[in-house]
Parts: sequence; C-alpha cells; structure tokens
Amino acid sequence: MTSAVTIPRHGGTGGSTAVAARARQVVKAYGSGETRVVALDHVDVDIARGRFTAIMGPSGSGKSTLMHCLAGLDTVTSGQIYLDETEITGLKDKKLTRLRRDRIGFIFQAFNLLPTLNAIENITLPMDIAGRKPDKAWLDRVVETVGLAERLRHRPTQLSGGQQQRVAVARALAARPEIIFGDEPTGNLDSRAGAEVLGFLRRSVDELGQTIVMVTHDPVAASYADRVLYLADGRIVDEMHQPTAEQVLDRMKDFDARGRTS
Amino acid sequence: MTVLKTSMRNFFAHKGRMALSAVAVLLSVAFVCGTLVFTDTMNTTFDKLFAATSSDVTVSSKSASDGGETTSGNGRPPVVPASVLDEVKGADGVKSAEGTVFSTSVTVVDGDKDSLSPTSGGPTIVGNWNTNDARTMDITSGAAPAGADQVMIDADTADKHDLKLGDEIGVISAIGTHRAKVSGIADFTVTNPGAAMFFLDLPTAQRTLVGESGVYTSVNVTAEAGVSDDRLKENVLAALGGTYKVQTAEETADANKESVGDFMNVMKYAMLGFAGIAFLVGIFLIINTFSMLVAQRTREIGLMRAIGSSRKQVNRSVLIEALLLGVIGSVLGVGAGIGLAVGLMKLMGLIGMELSTDDLTVAWTTPALGLLLGVVVTVLAAYLPARRAGKISPMAALRDAGTPADAKAGWIRGGIGLLLTGAGGACLYLAGTADKATDGSLWLGLGVVLSLIGFVVVGPVLASGVVRVLGAVLLRAFGPVGRMAERNALRNPRRTGATGAALMIGLALVACLSVVGSSMVASATEELDKTVGTDFIIGNDMGQLVVPEAVKAVKAVDAVERVTQYKWTEADFTTPDGKTLDDTAITAADPTYATDLRVETVAGKLADAYRPDSMSVHEDFAKDHDVRIGSTIEVAFKDGTTGSLTVRAITSSEGVVDAGAMYTSTATLAKYVPADRMPLDQLVFASAKDGQQDAAYTALKKALDDFPQYKVRDQTDYKEALQDQIGQLLNMIYGLLALAIVVAVLGVVNTLALSVVERTREIGLMRAIGLSRRQLRRMIRLESVVIALFGALLGLGLGMGWGATAQQLLALEGLKVLDIPWPTIIGVFIGSAFVGLFAALVPAFRAGRMNVLNAIATE
Repeated sequence: MTSAVTIPRHGGTGGSTAVAARARQVVKAYGSGETRVVALDHVDVDIARGRFTAIMGPSGSGKSTLMHCLAGLDTVTSGQIYLDETEITGLKDKKLTRLRRDRIGFIFQAFNLLPTLNAIENITLPMDIAGRKPDKAWLDRVVETVGLAERLRHRPTQLSGGQQQRVAVARALAARPEIIFGDEPTGNLDSRAGAEVLGFLRRSVDELGQTIVMVTHDPVAASYADRVLYLADGRIVDEMHQPTAEQVLDRMKDFDARGRTS
Repeated sequence: MTVLKTSMRNFFAHKGRMALSAVAVLLSVAFVCGTLVFTDTMNTTFDKLFAATSSDVTVSSKSASDGGETTSGNGRPPVVPASVLDEVKGADGVKSAEGTVFSTSVTVVDGDKDSLSPTSGGPTIVGNWNTNDARTMDITSGAAPAGADQVMIDADTADKHDLKLGDEIGVISAIGTHRAKVSGIADFTVTNPGAAMFFLDLPTAQRTLVGESGVYTSVNVTAEAGVSDDRLKENVLAALGGTYKVQTAEETADANKESVGDFMNVMKYAMLGFAGIAFLVGIFLIINTFSMLVAQRTREIGLMRAIGSSRKQVNRSVLIEALLLGVIGSVLGVGAGIGLAVGLMKLMGLIGMELSTDDLTVAWTTPALGLLLGVVVTVLAAYLPARRAGKISPMAALRDAGTPADAKAGWIRGGIGLLLTGAGGACLYLAGTADKATDGSLWLGLGVVLSLIGFVVVGPVLASGVVRVLGAVLLRAFGPVGRMAERNALRNPRRTGATGAALMIGLALVACLSVVGSSMVASATEELDKTVGTDFIIGNDMGQLVVPEAVKAVKAVDAVERVTQYKWTEADFTTPDGKTLDDTAITAADPTYATDLRVETVAGKLADAYRPDSMSVHEDFAKDHDVRIGSTIEVAFKDGTTGSLTVRAITSSEGVVDAGAMYTSTATLAKYVPADRMPLDQLVFASAKDGQQDAAYTALKKALDDFPQYKVRDQTDYKEALQDQIGQLLNMIYGLLALAIVVAVLGVVNTLALSVVERTREIGLMRAIGLSRRQLRRMIRLESVVIALFGALLGLGLGMGWGATAQQLLALEGLKVLDIPWPTIIGVFIGSAFVGLFAALVPAFRAGRMNVLNAIATE
C-alpha cells in the first residue's frame, strides 16, 4: 500500500510548514454490523502547501468523502485531520464554521452562487459574513485574473456556466484561504470552459501560491495538478507527480483492469 | 387512476408541507362548526328550560311583556287582581290554578351590602315559591320560606357568594328594602341559564314586590287530564271578565325563546362572520402552499408531461391533492368544532350558566356545512396553482434543476390592482362626502371591498417597493445577513405579497375598528364636555331604574346643591296635523335639567318647556308634523290621563347626547299620571355646591352604600366608563379577529418553511462557505419580520383609511372627532415584527439543523 505521506521538501509561503493539511489514520464508516460500509479505511495523507493536488478514483472509492472530511464538512469515525497545526476532528460546529469561513475556500460542481446576489457580492460573501473588509488590491487582482471585471454586477442567471464557475473560483481565492477544495469544479462545463477554469486554478497556484485540492474523475483535469492521488475502496492506492493526461488515463485503465481481474 | 395514485403519493409524501394548510382549514371549519353546535345546544337548553317552566296556561296583565319581563316604568311588575284567580278556577277543564308574584326589577344584597346579582348579566328574579318552581328545583337544605323574615335562594348563588342558612340578605325593590334570613337552598333540576333566584312566601312577595296584597303578576293554570292547552286557553278566556293576556305553554315558551333567540342569532352571525374572515385568510395560505409545491415540483411535472400526461391530468392531480387536503382538514375541523363548542359550554359554566353536555346538539347540517365549506374553499383556492401546474411545459424536465424561476410581479397585475384600489378609494371618498348616512354606508362597503381586493392584487407589486424601504430602514443594521434577508423576501414578490396580504386583512380590520372606537370615545368626550353641566350622574348600568329611597339618600347629601330626576315614559301623541303617534317616548325631568344638559334649540328656550303643561319637540319631529312654537299636542300618558301640552321649544337635531328626546317637566307628568304609576327615575343628576365637588363625591358614594346597583360617576368616571365599554367591545372583536391573525401567522410559517426547503442547496452552500447557524437563523427571522411588517404596513394603512372614512360618514350621526389611536397602531406594527420573529422560530431552527453535506447533495 502506498502512503501519501511525504517528507516536506520545500516550504510554501513564509514560515509556516510545508504541509497545509494532513490526515492520520482516518476512518469513515456508515452504518454498523452487517450493513457497515467503510468509505475511508485508515487513510494517511499530507497536502503540500502551495501545490495543486488532485484526488482521483472510481465512483464509490471515497474520494469525495475524503475531501469533505479534509474540508471540515463531514465528520470522521476515527483518526485525526489537521489543518496546518489545528486539529479539526472533534471541533464543534461553531468552530468548524469559522474555520471554513476564514481558512478554507470551496468550489462545487454546480450551484456555487447565491441567485439573489450579483457576481461581486457572491465573491465577497465569505468576508461579508465574517464582517471583514476585503483587501481591495487583492480583490482587483483576483477579479482580473479570472477575467470578470466586466460582469461584476451581473446576477448568476445572467452568466454562462463557465462564467459562474469562474466567479466561484474568484470567491474561493478572494478570501485568501489556506486551502481551496474543489469538488469536480469542471464537471458541468464543456471542455473549453473547463480548460479556462482549470487554467485559473493552475495560475493561482503558480502565481499566487495558493494550495488547492481537487476531486475529479477527468484525466485532463487531473493533468493540471502537481500530484495525483488515487483512491480505491477507501484507501490510497497510488500517487503520481507532474502527471500528463495520457499518464493519468493509462493508470486509470490499469486500475480498471486490475479491478476486473482481482 | 394513475392520476389519483400520483396525487395520493404526492400528498402523503409532502404531508409535512400540507400540515399547516390543513390546520388553517381545520381552524376555520372548527370555528364554523363550533359556533353552530354551540348555538344549537344553547337553543336546545333553552327549549327544555322554557318547556319545563311554562304552565299549561298563564294569565297575566295585558301590559306584561311577552317574554315574561315584568319591569315597568314605576319599577313594579304589572299585576292582575285576585278576582282573576277565582274566575280562572271556575273555568271548564281547569284542574288547578295558582296566583304567583315575581319581579326582575330588583336588587338583592348580602349582609355586606354587596350585590348578589349574576355578574354575567343574567337576571335577578325574586318571587314567591310556587308549584311551578317546585317542579324545576329541589330544596337541598333548609325549608321553603314561611313568614316575612324568610327567603330561600338557589344553590348556585349560595355557592358563589358563600351564603348559608340563617345569613341575612336584603331585597331592594321600588317599594323599599326588605330584609330576611336564608331559610332554605334549592338546586335546579334543569339548566340554570345564569339567573339568581330568590323565593319569598306569597304575602311577603306581594308586599315587597308590588306593594299591595291580593294581586298577582300571573296566574298559572293546570289543565285537567285530556284537556289540551288550546282548549284550556279558550275556556279561561271565556271565564275571564276583563282583558288579560292568556298564553298557552307553547306560546309562553315561544315568546321566551324569541327574546333569547334574537341575541343568539346576533352572536351566531357575528361569530360566523369572523369564521368567514378566517376562511378568507386561509385561502391565501392554501394558494401559497400549492403555488410553492407546484414550483418545487416543476421538473417532476415536466417529466410527467414529457412522458405523455395531458395538461388536464396534471391540473386534475393538483386539484385532487387539494380535495384530499380539504377533506382531511374539514373532517378534523368538524371534530375540533364540537370540541370547541364543549369548551365554550364550560366557559359559560364559569360565568354562571351551567350547560349540560347531554344537551349537545349536532344537527346533521353542521358537519355537512363544515365539510362542504372546507372542501369547496380549499379546491377553489388551489385552482389557480393547479392551472399554473398544467401550463408547465415538458421542457421543464430537461432544464437545469435548482430553484424555480423567481416570479416577477406583472405590470398587468399591477395595473388591475391600481385600478381596483383607485375605484375603492373613489368609493371611500364618496362615502366620506356623502350627505346621507344610508348612501354613504353603501359607498363605504363597496370602497372597503374594492380597496381590499385592489391591495391584494397590487400587493406583489407593492412588495418590491415596501420591502426595499423596510430593508433600507431596518435591515441595513444587520449587514450582509440583512441584505440577504431582504433579497430573499424580494425574490418572489407574489409569494411575499400573498403572505403579507393574509396578515393585512386581519390587521386592517383591527386598525379600522380601533380608529372608529377611539373616534367614538373622543367624539363622546367632546360632546360631554360641551353639553353636560352637572357634576355627578347616578344610575344603574343594566338599565334598572333608581328607586325612590336611593333618590332620597342622594337628596340628603349636604354638599349637593341641586338634584335633577330624569324619567322616561311613553305616550300617544296627537299632533295638530291630526295624526296620532302611538307609544312615543317622552322625557320628563326637573326644570334644572335645562342647566344639567345644554341642549341647543332652534326655536324657543328649553327652560320654557319645563313650565306647566309645556313641552319641547325635536327638530325633525317638528318638521314632519308641522309643529311650531305655541302648537298644542294632545299627550295621552301611559298609565295616566291625557293633557294638552304647549310646545315651547324645538331642540336641534345636531346633538348626540339625548338625541331626539322630547322634554316635559316632572310636575307636568305628575299632573296626568297617578303617584303610584309614576315612572321611576332613569338617572339622577347631582351638582355639588361651589368648591365642594370632592366632598360631594365621597358623600354621594357613602349615601348609596346601601344600593350597590347604582354607580355614582363624575364626568371623568363617566368618560372612563364609556372608554371601558368601547374598549371591552373592541377587545372582544380583536379576540375574534385573532383567529384570522393566527391563520395568517400560519401562512407566514408555511411560506418560510417551504422557502427553506426550496433553498436547501443555497443554505448548504452558505453554511459550507462559513455562514454560522446563528447567522442563518437570523437571516430567516429577518425575512419573516420583513414579510410581517409589509403585511402590517399595508393592513394598518388600509384600515386607518377605512376607519377615517367611516368616521367622516358617521360624522353625520355625531361621530365628529377623528382620533387615530397611534399607540395602538404603533403597538400593532411593533407587535407584527414579533409575530414575524415568532413565525420564523421553527423554520429557522430547521434550517439551522440542516446537514451541510445533504444540503449540497440535494438535487
């Protein structure tokens, strides 16, 4: 079994550790007795700071569950999860909410925006909720990076699917979270719009030093990442650095074949 | 068949979402059925009571009123001579006859001089213990009264006032005060309709109540076996020499029932009116519920259409759900209504009327009507949403899920609404400027209905504007949470409009009535200040007359400078134009009354009307009968002779106090009516010597200590009493309107609860990106407050408009001052905010408990 724990090679930003988030012996199980289903089976993983990590795996492999647990959206059955040096397993809802608000960004597959708010209001929403003033210069830069300056006063219904996802990316970036989690962020987009969004994510890692974790089943999307983790049956079974789409696809086929023969 | 099956499945799948609508139907139906069952039961009870207490045939004086009321102007019951009893006994078919004496124009006090009369407003009856009473009451302790110093009382009164055998009580009648000791206590074997009963022996009753022996107030006749009541009545009539009132048991019971029945009918229709308002409000709730359910199922319905359901089938499936809702709500409502009736009966027990649940009367029409109303109203209300469901295109199945499209308030709708509101406003304007109250009230009614419908229609359009203003004023303080609450309230103006409109209806009525009520108080206060020149008014609140002993006590007070006695009687007028006006009211007072009440005259001086053989007439009367100063009117006084009175003053029709009264002096009345037939005083006015007001007030109260039935009031007390009276009436109406408001609050809860369900994903998203539970709950509460305040603003505005118009119209009838009760209005407005908070409790709690992951995953 491959462990995804890596020795921190080089630091990301400033003096903080090179690992943005880590999971130790995380188990997530549903039900009990006969009907017990284990979604995560003693998973150890380190998410490198300032890197773009993709989590892949077939349906039911536990990849979304892992992301939800890392992001503090879901609780674990046992094990620990740390965000930087903070253990988030065992935190109460109030603290978890603040943690998500102040330290984590999200991009979902669909329905990322509040229909009643316009683009810029959606982008600043997490800061508004927190009662913080957005950093104007940073906000401008983020908006410019995602190329939305012209459409900031538009409501979500007036934006295309790709534009909506770019607003979601901008929202995730605007609050300068320690880590951004994406759950199939390009799953609902055509390949061109998907490429646009992935490009922004890549650039935000390269240019802004952002840490990103993305769940996907699309080899092309995964190829934008620095590192790909493969999950199967709730375990991390493999990883790949600096992947290309072809390599990812081959590895996937490999797993599929193994799955069928074993 | 499939349609039915899907409807059933949908209904039960969404039973939680249907629950509040069902409660609204339930409440309205329960109120209707409760009212009907309660009034029917009351009628049954009274039927039984009157059947039990009526003799086969009763003979009484011609002037005795039909319902057995015995009060007459001189405070003594009308009587028949003893000879009647002998004559009746001689008639064919008479088994037995018994002379009885009783009176209701009496007051009974205990040893501490506290009144023993029922506080519920039921009568106090003092009479002799006779076989008729013995039929409906059992002596439970002691013995029937025998001798002047003995009295028997009913068990309910004894219980309530803790009276025991041997306690002394006093019976105050027009004759004087009679003291006696309790010799026995008797319990009712039939329902006691809230009366307090006191029994004396016959000679004592005659002496105490009518002041002479050998007379009866009625003679109860029992038929021999085989003789019908009608036959007996004929025989008795034949045997009697003079003209008397002879009634069979059935006639007596009918007459009694009529007086009770009128009151019962007023109560019944008033309560049904309020049930109607609740139904109206419920319609909004049902429309909203189905609109939201249809909107949430858009995709599902689209799929049904795509795979071949016709419009009609979709339409019908929604209506079938409404039918189910209506049936369930109504069936439960009928049950709850019977429960409500039983509750009301228990409540009557608290105020002294013991109703037996054995008499519970549920006519088959009651549940039938309840079911019919509930089902028809529900299905009609669901018709619009059902039609909208039918219009959903199959394409909807393919479109992206998420929240249903936010409905925009249409311009056409706004136009129609404004047109209706404008028409309503015009009607109200016409009502306000009408010359005649009858024309005006028609315009007022039309204006109220049109402006209400107009506001309901235009509501969604107004919602956008009003919510923005409210948001700017109230919600800005809450930052982004407030802004999101405002946007949420705005996103579907039709829904916000309908939810607010439901609340609007109840509050508009509250505002309107409070304006009218407070204008009544203000107008009366102004009129009293202007016209009343006396310091103290003494009288009985239930209209009992003032006995001479009490008048004597008032006159004996040192600090009092003058006392005016104010009497009232009827007379047949023969005017110069040759017409005879039967039973016309005429007021007789001391000449000082001209000072005590400043009545404007259009001709002559009012003081002159109090000269011997003089009188005043009312302006309209003078016009109608061509009466001028100096005209002579033949006045045939009731219980007296005829006098020719000269008209010396014509009073203005402007006044409100004593409106339409025609005056003569007490001395003139005394000239034509024998002393023992003189009516007692309606009211007594007393004015203090200069600077001795306080002393006089205290002394008067002390002087009337023996007569707890009379109240001394100075002008301030009088105004307060007036205010209390109107306040009580208003509170009762508010209480009944509370039903409509409760239904409207259910509507707010329902809208919020369904909105929360509809926005599950949004809520999940917000929670994921860091909105705390507390902030989420606050957001929902603020949305609720804004909706409630929107309804309140519309309702209060509309209601104040109605109230002001009604005042303008009633200015013709003396409601001259417009007084807007700002504390009440502002109180209601602020109260609405709390109603909004309250309504949001459960939806906010449930939204807060929503699991973030599930919320995100919801399709």
